[in-house]
Amino acid sequence: MDLHFTPEQEQFRRELRAWLDANLERSWTEETRDPNHDADSLVELRRVWQRKLNAARYIGMGWSEEWGGRGASEVEEAILQEELTRADAPQVPNFLGISLLGPALIHHGTEEQRRRFIPKMLNCEEIWCQGFSEPSSGSDLASLRTRAEPDGDDFRITGQKVWTTFGPWADWIFVLARTDMDDRYGGISFFLVPIDQDGVEMRPIRQITGESEFGEVFFDGALAKREHLVGELGEGWRIAMTVLGYERGAATLAKPAEYDVQLDGLVAGLRASGKLDRPDVREQLGRLVIENEVMRSNGLRTLAQLASGHAPGPESSIEKIFWSEYAQRLSDSALDLLGPEAQLATRAQKTGSDVDWAYQYLWSRAGTIYSGSSEIQRNIIAKRVLRMPTA
Amino acid sequence: MQFDLDEDRALLKSSTRELLEKESALADARTVIEESAEGYDKALYAQLGELGYGSLLLTEDEGGMGVLAFAAVLEEMGRVAFPGPFLDLALAVRLLSQSEAPEAAEWAERAAAGEALVVLARLDATSGSPTRFTGGRVQGTKRFVPFGAHADALLVETGEGLVLVPRPGAGWNAVAQPTIDHAQRFAEVRFDDAGSLVAASDAARTLLEDADRLGAIGASALLLGLMDRSLELTVAYTMEREAFGAPIASFQALQHRCADGLLQTESTRSAVYRAAWAADETPDDAGFLAAVAKAWAGPAARYVCGQAIQLHGGVGFTWEYDPHVYLKRVKTLEQFYGATRDQLENALQSRGL
Repeated sequence: MDLHFTPEQEQFRRELRAWLDANLERSWTEETRDPNHDADSLVELRRVWQRKLNAARYIGMGWSEEWGGRGASEVEEAILQEELTRADAPQVPNFLGISLLGPALIHHGTEEQRRRFIPKMLNCEEIWCQGFSEPSSGSDLASLRTRAEPDGDDFRITGQKVWTTFGPWADWIFVLARTDMDDRYGGISFFLVPIDQDGVEMRPIRQITGESEFGEVFFDGALAKREHLVGELGEGWRIAMTVLGYERGAATLAKPAEYDVQLDGLVAGLRASGKLDRPDVREQLGRLVIENEVMRSNGLRTLAQLASGHAPGPESSIEKIFWSEYAQRLSDSALDLLGPEAQLATRAQKTGSDVDWAYQYLWSRAGTIYSGSSEIQRNIIAKRVLRMPTA
Repeated sequence: MQFDLDEDRALLKSSTRELLEKESALADARTVIEESAEGYDKALYAQLGELGYGSLLLTEDEGGMGVLAFAAVLEEMGRVAFPGPFLDLALAVRLLSQSEAPEAAEWAERAAAGEALVVLARLDATSGSPTRFTGGRVQGTKRFVPFGAHADALLVETGEGLVLVPRPGAGWNAVAQPTIDHAQRFAEVRFDDAGSLVAASDAARTLLEDADRLGAIGASALLLGLMDRSLELTVAYTMEREAFGAPIASFQALQHRCADGLLQTESTRSAVYRAAWAADETPDDAGFLAAVAKAWAGPAARYVCGQAIQLHGGVGFTWEYDPHVYLKRVKTLEQFYGATRDQLENALQSRGL
């Protein structure tokens, strides 16, 4: 057993920190509090930030050099995400493209598709969103009904997608659509579809935070070119499931780092309000601190497993449940402990705590739903790890 | 980075599992727990001593294998609810071997070899004056001394430091303190006995801090084994038991409970092994990580072992079935070696809060 990072990994971290010091002018928290910003200008700012990161070759780091990467390991990717979180850097707009579509094209796409799409994905010339979920197909994704019908050499897509994160700013969408209505898994294909065309309508959806960071997409005979089919017809499900697996590992250290920042904010608020010495408060705070550290221990273990060549398994469901439910406990507790000031819609300076708790309180409700709800994750653990039978 | 144990420790772990399954299967262990006077199998402890288990917790220079190996062994002991004072004995050996007092080395050797039982006596009686060491004699009363009535010597925490008290000729003035955990034989021991100082107050404090940290990791490793086995037994039972024409394991309500059990158990594994590794390798954060492991492991094990009874249904509430043995062990281990609430406070303080 050895949980030390290698000297090369430590060196990577030092260089990254120096780069962030030199290149990140304002933290994301500061930017979002700037009254001169609106939703669109914040997206533009994120686009600029992605370009800076890309110029320094921090985007798609795990990919081969040919495709703009460094062939970096999962450990370096995890360190990158951890340091970006600690520095409170903006999230890049193309995170869905980078984490899902990029690997899909590299592993399953054609040479032409890679040449056409990867450079513009990396420098954020084209923003991607994901068209998987539908109004009637969420957890049971394979029941999706959006269909792609042949039209000459090409395809026409008809149907509806929903919970399309970053959809309102996206140029392209990668879509799972049915090319065979009867074959549940083998009838699904993977298409790349431009959004700016007749037959595609993107409507923003207002979320419980008041933002419209996701949307719904209506396809009415939208054109998907044959050359924009990824893999063979009917391979869409398999491709989607493999690329979802590539995400594993990257957030292992970033999540506890994110909550460390929030915990520091909570401590500052408790200190400012003179509550830090109360035994009941300390017990609750202690619980939050140790749970986050256990989460980090799980993350280091996953990373160590990846580093020693073990493929990520269904155990990653444990991590997903852990961080998403922890985020809710953390913000629930913070609102409880800090009192009504923590609920003031903006701004935490009222609580002496540099965290927008009210926003976190609402936002944390999303984590247990997206990317496989907590219930689905528990099904996965029961069936694939504990081998409990299906009813 | 590597999470798996290296070859030596992995071999130690697997051979310990084999040995315990052969010599201390739960059915046999239950007979020892429920029927023997001492509460443990003395011959088996002597065998463990011969095999070198008694000095395991010493550093490699001192002939041990360190904390990580120790945690791996304790996880296996937890799985079979291994009876007796193994953890307490190992802590005493480590403590004695760090003392410079002449008697200490001899007792350390005998205890490590499984020839003598030495354990720590820490908690003062709730009433009366704290235990003192004056004029070569220890006076006072200690409660919840693990296996105290059968010990050959006790390491007694006093206001003056740590005092080694060999069993007096007439035996200990001890009263059994039975708890719900039959595997634990606590005694309240009243002292008016000759002893010798093995560490004066400052040195004693350092030794006890070390013992606290290792006790927390050791207890957490036992808790890990207890919940790991408990979950295994529970999942196996739900596969066999049928209701409404299907194995109850196929019902989602039970599946989700077991999934939570796995989350708790595997998270404990991450926390325990990281803390044990840190105790050997990165002393700066070892104290914090030990507190984290223990504060997490207690409630986690209570959840898993409690659900084991629930998911076994009626038979889970019977003496005959095993889940209660685990639940009872869990409660002792949660309350001692740094109770959950105290470890939460330790965690905050070691982070400067």
